[in-house]
Amino acid sequence: MPDVIANPDKGVFTPGRLPQISEPVMRLNPASDPRKMRRIIAEDPEWSLAIIPLLRELCLQHIVKNFENNPILNELLPSHKAKVLEKLSTKLPLKVTANLISDEGYWNRCCTERWGVCDVACYGDSWKRMFFERHLEKIIELFIPDVTDIKTVLDVVPLCKNYVKKLNISQLLPPVKEPQMNEDDNASDTASDLGHEGPSIDHFDFWTLLDKLTHLEELHLVYGVSGCGMNFEWNLFEFTYRDCQSLAKALKSCKTLKVFRITQSKVDDEKVRLLINSLLDHPFLTVLDLSHNLIGDRGARAIGKLINERKMKSITVYDNKIRAHGAQAIAYALTKNTTLTSLNLRLNQIGDEGGQAIAHALLKNATLTNIHMGSNELTEPTATVLSQVLVQNKTLRNINLSCNRLGLDGGKQIQEGMSYNRTVVEFDVRLTEIGQESEYSISQILQNNQEKARKKLITESGVKK
Amino acid sequence: MNPAENGSKEPEPEESVPTVESDIPEERIAARRLRIAARIEAKKREALGVDPDSKKEVKQELKSEKQVEQSRQRLTKLKSDGTELVTNIQVAADSRESQRRTDEAEARRQRTERLESEAKMSLEKFEDITKKWTMARSRELPQDLWEILNMQQQQCALLIEDKNKLINDLQQELKVSDDRYVKDLKKQAEDIDLMIERMEEQIKNLMKSYREELNQIEKSFELERRELLDSNHNKWEQMMQCRRDKELQFLMMRMKRVEEQEQQLQQLRVQDAEEYNMIKIKLETDVQILEQQLQQMKATYQLNQEKLEYNFQVLKKRDEENTITKSQQKRKITRLQDILNNVRIKHTKQDKQFREENHGLTEDYKRIMEQYKEMQKKMKHFANVDAKKFQEIWLMNEEEVKELVQRALETDRIIHEQQLGLAWEKPHLPFMERSGPIVPEHEKKKLALQLAEEVIRAKGKTDADEEWEAVCAPGTQSDSPPFQEQDTLDTDNTESSADQPLRISVKTIKRLLEILCDETGFLIESKLLKLLSPLEKDEQSLMKLDAIFMALGIENEEDVYKLADFFIKYREQQTVDSKGADEDESPGKRESHAQKETGDGSSHRSSSSDLIHPNDVLQALRRFTKEHFKPRDKSHQQSKLFNLNERDDSKDAAYWEDMVNVIPEAKLKVWDALYNALEKYHHVLTERMKLINETNGMKQQNSELRMLLHQYVNSRVNAELEIPPTQVMQIESSWN
Repeated sequence: MPDVIANPDKGVFTPGRLPQISEPVMRLNPASDPRKMRRIIAEDPEWSLAIIPLLRELCLQHIVKNFENNPILNELLPSHKAKVLEKLSTKLPLKVTANLISDEGYWNRCCTERWGVCDVACYGDSWKRMFFERHLEKIIELFIPDVTDIKTVLDVVPLCKNYVKKLNISQLLPPVKEPQMNEDDNASDTASDLGHEGPSIDHFDFWTLLDKLTHLEELHLVYGVSGCGMNFEWNLFEFTYRDCQSLAKALKSCKTLKVFRITQSKVDDEKVRLLINSLLDHPFLTVLDLSHNLIGDRGARAIGKLINERKMKSITVYDNKIRAHGAQAIAYALTKNTTLTSLNLRLNQIGDEGGQAIAHALLKNATLTNIHMGSNELTEPTATVLSQVLVQNKTLRNINLSCNRLGLDGGKQIQEGMSYNRTVVEFDVRLTEIGQESEYSISQILQNNQEKARKKLITESGVKK
Repeated sequence: MNPAENGSKEPEPEESVPTVESDIPEERIAARRLRIAARIEAKKREALGVDPDSKKEVKQELKSEKQVEQSRQRLTKLKSDGTELVTNIQVAADSRESQRRTDEAEARRQRTERLESEAKMSLEKFEDITKKWTMARSRELPQDLWEILNMQQQQCALLIEDKNKLINDLQQELKVSDDRYVKDLKKQAEDIDLMIERMEEQIKNLMKSYREELNQIEKSFELERRELLDSNHNKWEQMMQCRRDKELQFLMMRMKRVEEQEQQLQQLRVQDAEEYNMIKIKLETDVQILEQQLQQMKATYQLNQEKLEYNFQVLKKRDEENTITKSQQKRKITRLQDILNNVRIKHTKQDKQFREENHGLTEDYKRIMEQYKEMQKKMKHFANVDAKKFQEIWLMNEEEVKELVQRALETDRIIHEQQLGLAWEKPHLPFMERSGPIVPEHEKKKLALQLAEEVIRAKGKTDADEEWEAVCAPGTQSDSPPFQEQDTLDTDNTESSADQPLRISVKTIKRLLEILCDETGFLIESKLLKLLSPLEKDEQSLMKLDAIFMALGIENEEDVYKLADFFIKYREQQTVDSKGADEDESPGKRESHAQKETGDGSSHRSSSSDLIHPNDVLQALRRFTKEHFKPRDKSHQQSKLFNLNERDDSKDAAYWEDMVNVIPEAKLKVWDALYNALEKYHHVLTERMKLINETNGMKQQNSELRMLLHQYVNSRVNAELEIPPTQVMQIESSWN
């Protein structure tokens, strides 16, 4: 009641907030309600001259009010249903709404209210899916082992397992020992306080979760803390062996997975071998992203094996420590493979040896369309082989060789190779010191190829139509 | 298919282009030819690398399209440039990063090297120091010791200082790298900012340029549209103008032509009027003449009409009659047709029936023929059997009878000789000599060949008449009194044979045969002649005659005589013909003359010598065969068939009667008398025998009684008896 007295002045001059004034206030003090003094209230779309609302309206209002206790939705007529959905509160517990409401409008409201910035295109144009995915992501990202009850996660799972297809988890918190640690200021405090705890700490155990999410197709993981700022501690970014084991187990149990990304997580040879071992007989996996890790030659060998065992389409091992031997292993896999279309080896150290091996493999391979070998310490010999590849290979479309010192001679050779090629559309030769002349001619050829590809595309689409 | 068709059709649709769907086959063929030609043309063009449409396209490339293409190129360039600009940062960062990595690797290597050398050096120093400790221990003097200790201390301090320096260096480096890290972070943040800035700028630029390009494209489109409109309008105007001009021209021309034609019309009218008048006058005169003619014609027409009407009536009548008769005929024809059909059907039916019947009958006939043959065979068989049986029975009976006759004769002889005491003479019994059934006389005739043989054999004998008699009448040998009847029969026989002109001398026959033999050699086969050549002359002629007789069909004696007779007659006839005057001679005379001739041997000879001229033999033979053998053949055959049945048994009874009458009646009477006498004698004899028997029996009884008496008398009982029987006996005997 004290609110009632305090409010009037506020409400009189802010007509936009008028509907939010509680009803009892208006009833008790008619004068305080300016609406009673006006004939037409243009700003309120629901205003009508009828003083007594229809019984239907009242019923619907009642349903909305008691939706939590007595959810009646599917029994209603479509028009009424729409009205109810429009008025339902976004604060309703998920238990009630999750499986009951499928209306996108409602979930749109939920999402926009909760996060503000939303790009529904990333979630297959489904607000509901977006809501649940982000909801689950949030829960997992804020999960602190040994502190947060595992139930908080598991309770949500049955509600959202039908809608979650992708999990993009940008951080995983390490466990805390100190009781004063909260979810709110997790990263900074945990980091500062638990810095000396050592790398034996384990993160969230995905095994308990993944086998329950029956529709999961994409999984992005970062074993690390985002936004730690000056509270940086090395152990915030540890990916322990036990984590790896549990993750491998989880991956094995999740049969629907198609895309798996684990980045910036200090995955070294041993761990990648463990993971790939578990993925070797996975039925659907097609995309693997292991960028920003510590994978060396042995890990690369394991990746090569995976390429051959599974029908992989895309492999990304950007920013790792793969050297010549690893590149050779991958190149060998390429010669046998018929499914892989994209390979990213940027920021590794495969050197000329590895580069030549991969180029030779490309002579035999007829499926790969994109290859990225930027910043790989490649020089002229690789360019020589690559020019041959450009002449012979008819499937490659995008090649990236940026930041490799190919030199003038290498540039000339590539130019020569390009002059016979009709399929490559993009060829990045920036910062390769190949000389402006070669660069210019290559860009000319690329333009021609692009035109050709465009025309082909147009004719193909015309044919299809 | 379709595009080609369209291609061929579309360019000139107004013209009557032959189509494949056309109804006329020629047109379809033409259409296909055109299509093929078009295709070949297209192929040629393709081969030359000249796309027919490309030129047009190049020409027709519109300004707007050009604009669109330009804009697109510009935009793609802008986009790629922008992307490059943005990604340049990343690439630079990458290269920096890789540079840093290589640098760091190098630094690390140097560092480790340094550390290792440092460690080595410090170890050496430390070893020096430790060595010096032992040296220090050996020192006695405290100053020395102190000195050494000081030195050691200094060295240790030096070592530590070195280490500290190293540590400091490393820490410095760490700090530097820390700084660098911070700097890098800052730099990266800047980079990111720059990137974002560039991206925003890029987006802005792109948006702007897109808008601009869109505007430009729109403008160009509008311009183009306007241009098009203008050009079309101009064209339209031009064409309208052109049309107007042309219309005016046409109008002028038309007017001119109208004038000209009007003039022409006028001219023509005048001409035609003149012509018309002339023709009119001419025609009117014609009309008058024609009217006159018409009148005439009408008159004749009237006449003709009447005639014709009459004729028409008559013809109509006739026609009616004709139709009536025609219908009648038709009806008749149909009826006859029906009948014909019926008859035909009947005929076919009957034909069929008769054929069947015929077939059946032929079958029957065949069967019956077979049966008949079978029957004949059987009959022959049975006849043979019967004949045989008959013969056998005959023989058997004959034998029996003969035996009986013999017995009878024997008894007769015995009776004669023993009973009567007369000399018995054996009666003449001709039948006893022969056996078998009686064969009729004509069948006993000799075969011609036999006759010939006999004749020829008898060549040597001089007495021809004797021979003749022997030959001609075998039955007239000797007559015996008991067989009177048979004798008369025989005489009859001879008489009948004498009636026939058979009394031809053997000589004549022989002569005839010789002539035959000589003249009809052609009837003998040449082979036979060859075979015969080595034989005797008689033999030869005999065989030849055999063959000739075979050929002429002469079988038996009679035929030969006939032939001879015929020859003689023939010659006579010829002589009569030659003489001409001797026609009055009656056949009886001739016959007598012939008889005479036969009777006289010399005349016989002369006549036989000119029995027939050898030249006439052939003709005579022909006639003979014609006259005699044709009719005879059939009868001969028939007689042959029935000869078995025809056996006449008239003489059998006589024969058997002969047998029965072997004992004549007189003799039988004698026999009867004898029998009676003998009967009486027998009776007496039997009486006598009876009496003898009686006496014999009496005698025996007597003897027996005597024996008994004797016995009784001699028995002992007697003795015992008072009166002995012996005494009685004696009394009795004494009585007796």
